[in-house]
Amino acid sequence: MIEVVDLHKRYRGRKVLNGISFTAEKGQITCLIGINGAGKSTILKSIMGLTPPKSGTIRIEGNPVGPAMYEKVAFVPDHPTVRMGMKLSDGMQFMNDFYQNWNEARAKELLDFFKLDRSERVGNLSKGTTAKYSLLLGLSQDTDYILMDEPFSGIDMFSREIIAEVFSSDLIEARGVLLTTHEIDDMEHLIDKAILLQNGTVQLAFDCEEMRTTEGKSVIDVMREVYMG
Amino acid sequence: MNRYLKLVHMEIHRFRYILASLMAVTMVCQFSSFILTIKRAIAFKAKNGMDYDDIGLPDILTFPWVILKTKEWFILPILLSVTVLVLYTILIWYRDWFGRSTFIYRLLMLPSKRWMLYVSKLTAIIMFVFSMIAFQLVLLVGENMIFKAMVPAELRADSTFVEAISMNDALKILLPKQFEQFIYYYGLGIIAVMVIFTAVLLERSFRRVGVLYAIAYFAGCVVLAVYPVSFLRMDEYWYPNEIYGMQLGVCLLVAVISGCLGCWLLRKKITV
Repeated sequence: MIEVVDLHKRYRGRKVLNGISFTAEKGQITCLIGINGAGKSTILKSIMGLTPPKSGTIRIEGNPVGPAMYEKVAFVPDHPTVRMGMKLSDGMQFMNDFYQNWNEARAKELLDFFKLDRSERVGNLSKGTTAKYSLLLGLSQDTDYILMDEPFSGIDMFSREIIAEVFSSDLIEARGVLLTTHEIDDMEHLIDKAILLQNGTVQLAFDCEEMRTTEGKSVIDVMREVYMG
Repeated sequence: MNRYLKLVHMEIHRFRYILASLMAVTMVCQFSSFILTIKRAIAFKAKNGMDYDDIGLPDILTFPWVILKTKEWFILPILLSVTVLVLYTILIWYRDWFGRSTFIYRLLMLPSKRWMLYVSKLTAIIMFVFSMIAFQLVLLVGENMIFKAMVPAELRADSTFVEAISMNDALKILLPKQFEQFIYYYGLGIIAVMVIFTAVLLERSFRRVGVLYAIAYFAGCVVLAVYPVSFLRMDEYWYPNEIYGMQLGVCLLVAVISGCLGCWLLRKKITV
């Protein structure tokens, strides 16, 4: 389980995170939902040790954030994390060199599935293709959890469909997924748990299926209630 | 350890074209000025008689004399290389943050201790410097061979590399005669790189306020490092060996603080 307890963070005098607490379980897709600037990406970066919170606790399977965590948790940001001059194959080789959890066979499978050209340079990829490649790098690590920052943002319809297909495959099923989005449409049928953020706090966290069956509300209905008053 | 070596390899690989360009510029400048100087001297002697000599042209040509005559063309590429390496000491960090790709995300998410990033970048800079020094030594050997090949035996006298190096101030600093001096010069250079690294990491950790921290840290280290030699020397209270001891202690202290602070910032404060 990824456990975030009372996370606080300030940026340029503004409280970006103001006591955020939630959990993301293995085997579930948890979605952090909020408008731009709600602190979604900051939460993911804090979990990955890429930005230090002012206060609060983050635990992964009960352990604090540290180097060993990067073999258990993969992060897919909304931009490439390998150098622009690298060919796709170089980026995969880099991952293979540094991560014990790198699954080369799966990387090759995904390369074919996404129809990516391994000799292409990362800097020449379109936004949609970059998103697919970033997803390839994240999913080809045998991790327990995967964090994704806006995986559908700015991507064409066909690429969205392909990426959505990955979400319902066994590549995701066994893992805990924590993702952020401000466009819920494509994701609604995929997510198990929704966490609505506003002004650096958790406004509401709920099980999507339970909400549908008990109150007959979709995630978008609940969002309307929370954000539109 | 294995990951550390891979990181060092990656840093060297990223700088390879710039390093090769610096070497090429150094070689072209030194070889061309060296050959032209010898050609001119031989042509002058052929025109005016083999035993012609004046203030600018000795009776017998020596390797150190040619080095002396071409010293500007030796110093210029050396200065260029030093400037590029100093700038790269800062750029080696910033290039991971800026641009469309943010490679720093990947580097900070490597499943190894973050001090390895600091040490691997430091190792890479040290290796670039020593590569240039080694290349300069190879060039000197090559230049000596050119000298022997171009100047007829009756017009030249043999000399040592030490004599040749002592003709050029830049070479004297780069290739000191005493091992002790070599350690001081390059030790101070390594400490300076560590101070710059830590200043960059202060800026990267605290951003706008970090700029002030970085400037204050850099200035503090410089004052601390030069204080014993600059101020205590004027005070007759201290013996020279005591000042030397203090200087050494202060330099080691600056190195330790820079290294520890840099690694702590990477571990606890760095932000992407």
